[in-house]
Amino acid sequence: MNLGWGRVSRALGWPSGSLLDSRRCVVALTLLTLIMQVVVEANSWWSLAMNPLLIPEAYIIGAQPLCSQLVGLSQGQKKLCQLYQDHMQYIGEGAKTGIRECQYQFRHRRWNCSTVDNSSVFGRVMQIGSRETAFTYAISAAGVVNAVSRACREGELSSCGCSRAARPKDLPRDWLWGGCGDNLNYGYRFSKEFVDAREREKSYPKGTAESARLLMNLHNNEAGRRTVSDLAHVSCKCHGVSGSCSLKTCWLQLADFRKVGDALKEKYDSAASMKLNSRGKMVQMHSKFNPPTSHDLVYIDGSPDYCLLNHTTGSLGTVGRLCNKTSEGMDGCELMCCGRGYDQYKAQVVERCHCKFHWCCYVKCKRCTKTVDQFVCK
Amino acid sequence: MAGAIIENMSSKKLVIFGVILLLFQALSFMVGGLIAPSPTSVMLYMANKCVDTAKSHQSTKWFMPWGPNKCEIIRSFDEAMAKKIEANNIVFAVHIPQQNMEMSPWFQFMLVILQLDIAFKMHNQIEEGALATVDVALAYRDDTLSEWTEMAHSVEQRELKCKFNTQKNYENEGRYYDCDLLPFMELGSVSHKYYLLNIRLPVHERKKINVGIGEVKDIQLVGIHQNGGFTKVWFAMKTFLTPSILIVLVWYWRRITLMTRPPVLLEKVIFALGISMTFINIPVEWFSVGFDWTWMLLFGDIRQGIFYSMLLSFWIIFCGEHLMDQTERNRFSIYWKQVGPIVFGSFCLFIFDMCERGVQLTNPFYSIWASDVGTELAMAFIVVAGICACLYFLFLCFMVFQVFRNISGKRSSLPAMSKARRLHYEGLIFRFKFLMLVTLFCAAMTVIFFIISQVMEGHWQWGSQKLELNSAFFTGIYGMWNLYVFAIMFLYAPSHKRYGDNQSGGQCIISDTGASGEEIQLTTTITHVDGPTELYKMTGKAAQE
Repeated sequence: MNLGWGRVSRALGWPSGSLLDSRRCVVALTLLTLIMQVVVEANSWWSLAMNPLLIPEAYIIGAQPLCSQLVGLSQGQKKLCQLYQDHMQYIGEGAKTGIRECQYQFRHRRWNCSTVDNSSVFGRVMQIGSRETAFTYAISAAGVVNAVSRACREGELSSCGCSRAARPKDLPRDWLWGGCGDNLNYGYRFSKEFVDAREREKSYPKGTAESARLLMNLHNNEAGRRTVSDLAHVSCKCHGVSGSCSLKTCWLQLADFRKVGDALKEKYDSAASMKLNSRGKMVQMHSKFNPPTSHDLVYIDGSPDYCLLNHTTGSLGTVGRLCNKTSEGMDGCELMCCGRGYDQYKAQVVERCHCKFHWCCYVKCKRCTKTVDQFVCK
Repeated sequence: MAGAIIENMSSKKLVIFGVILLLFQALSFMVGGLIAPSPTSVMLYMANKCVDTAKSHQSTKWFMPWGPNKCEIIRSFDEAMAKKIEANNIVFAVHIPQQNMEMSPWFQFMLVILQLDIAFKMHNQIEEGALATVDVALAYRDDTLSEWTEMAHSVEQRELKCKFNTQKNYENEGRYYDCDLLPFMELGSVSHKYYLLNIRLPVHERKKINVGIGEVKDIQLVGIHQNGGFTKVWFAMKTFLTPSILIVLVWYWRRITLMTRPPVLLEKVIFALGISMTFINIPVEWFSVGFDWTWMLLFGDIRQGIFYSMLLSFWIIFCGEHLMDQTERNRFSIYWKQVGPIVFGSFCLFIFDMCERGVQLTNPFYSIWASDVGTELAMAFIVVAGICACLYFLFLCFMVFQVFRNISGKRSSLPAMSKARRLHYEGLIFRFKFLMLVTLFCAAMTVIFFIISQVMEGHWQWGSQKLELNSAFFTGIYGMWNLYVFAIMFLYAPSHKRYGDNQSGGQCIISDTGASGEEIQLTTTITHVDGPTELYKMTGKAAQE
């Protein structure tokens, strides 16, 4: 799998390398990208996942300009960044978890969630309102919920407040009266505030393609967040007299993020195709199916052809991807290479074997080399 | 015992009394449901991974997970791998509570549950019956600037009970195991503001310590404590109930001593029930706010145990005293067969509680469930207590059945009896049936509310008002048993009407002589016979009605 990754990035390297040959081109390109940014807003908050600026120390100084340096934030997000500077690191981490999970879930697909650059992150593919886009939005929103509520539990965020319990008004402090600690709720609310800020500050006339896309993004963000809270399971502990269950305390426990990825992948497979109706509302394309709930993914455009490199759609193509000769699924060479055929070669793989492990940070292994057949799409 | 208030009260007064009790009952539910917050709160903690850079392990060094003196933190173990940090140099630090909060004595207790997030790796799986050895230290301080003071330090072992629900292959590497929650720590008092836990998972290959526990990714802790608001409401309730029960208790005993005869067994048992109720009511917990009394939790358990065993014994003796068979009763010794299981069962639970909470007084990390022997022992205690409970209920059911059989037997022969004797039996029957009814009602309420509070989500929306079901359950049930004891003491106290009878004169004295023959018969059949006046007053009363 690692080898496949290398291939992908090399495949990326060619076109950009040839473009950057001429110095003049660079200037033109920068101008172009500037214009592009204004027009299509290629940059996204996802870039926080890539940003090396996001080290915790930077926030201790409380540098205001930091938020404006972060590329990819919309106006509303920049404001939130200034208000909640300590959260930014975890939003970045959430985006990173989301992207990593996306890449795991799509490792056998023609589109494998690969990141293109540090500002737009996924490149132009995200401008198409496809299923893949829907999944990406959902999983990154879910990642933020997960990361923020995790940071709450780590005690890293100062504002993970108490949920307002019913209590007499003149009594001091919620915490002493009724306790707090609903981290999931906080993560959900913050993610909603931050991730959706981008869509909320835009306004398009009803019925336009842009407004459809906006609705789609909001819907999928919400679906991602809800998946996290749906998958959170209740754990309970009995602690009454002599351990009896007369006193029982329950709490919500976040699921392993892999499970969130699995659930969203399933939703990706059953995503609903939507269109705008005459009143500017999103309705289902095929009305015979059950209408999607707020937990389902929706998309408005068909997926582009991911087989070949295409600069307009942003597709990277599958040239150079590893495939499985024996599999009949999406990772099989037939489907993965879109019928173009594949190259076979033998590769020496160095593996660790006969290992001794500790629970952390220690592995003592022997190195075993073995030869494997590898298949790479033409 | 004949001539208790319950028999002499007019139905109208009895209804009024019942309604007042019901009102108080409703009030006690409302206090919990509307004023108090939920009884307990949960705080979730994710341990931060600190690096112990010092070569020599100084025991005085404490690792703070955040704040100005925070330790050197690594975000993930991949980072540790790259920096060549070993497992023995990693300290999991958890600060209780989280930022901008402080603990308070009002929280009463704190228990902490441990959860290990262990990722699945093909080559590093959790072995069968793997034991995690946890080196843990607990410290406290009362302001944010002072040094940490060590409270406890211990090396504990916990068995990992983990399942991996998906297929074990390379594809699924990195997924987490589903592990059971491990009991970790229990504090009987929360007298300090800040607590700090430093947890290590030391590895020693030769001693097989922490080998084969899989790839630990994170340590999560769940802190549970009682809510300050609930504690306040609870204390207030106890403070209010103590004098109410105490006054009735004194009044009741004065009534008994005013009588010419010595108190019978049933009266003594009711008195004992009142005392145990007062004992559980006395709000000594107020002291826990000012003093660091860690044994308060254990003491509360003991008090509760005494009350429940007293209540159970009371039912047995009450049934026995109303058996209406011809044997001589009124002695405690003949109830040993029935009371024995209660005492033995509660003793078992007491031992169990001492093993768990008693040891926790010195080592808060101790858990009887952590070791195999302890688990077996604990199970044995609980099973024995369970058997005793079953025995008890069999006895009780059998006695109730006997009483009812005797009642129906006596019923058929009632019309044939002389008036005085008939009234006496009717009094016994009425008294018995009343208590049975009330007890059944209380037991049913307890069970119903227990089920509701277990099944429902914990609170209940009622218009805009949120009803805390769990708190309502606690205050409601507690109030109910108080009212129950209150009602029993009041209703089963000797009636004062006999004093008035002497003044009412004529009729009674006349009938007094008339029934003296009957009296001799009664002494042989009924265990506790009082002076004839009550009987005749009853006669007169029945005649009036």
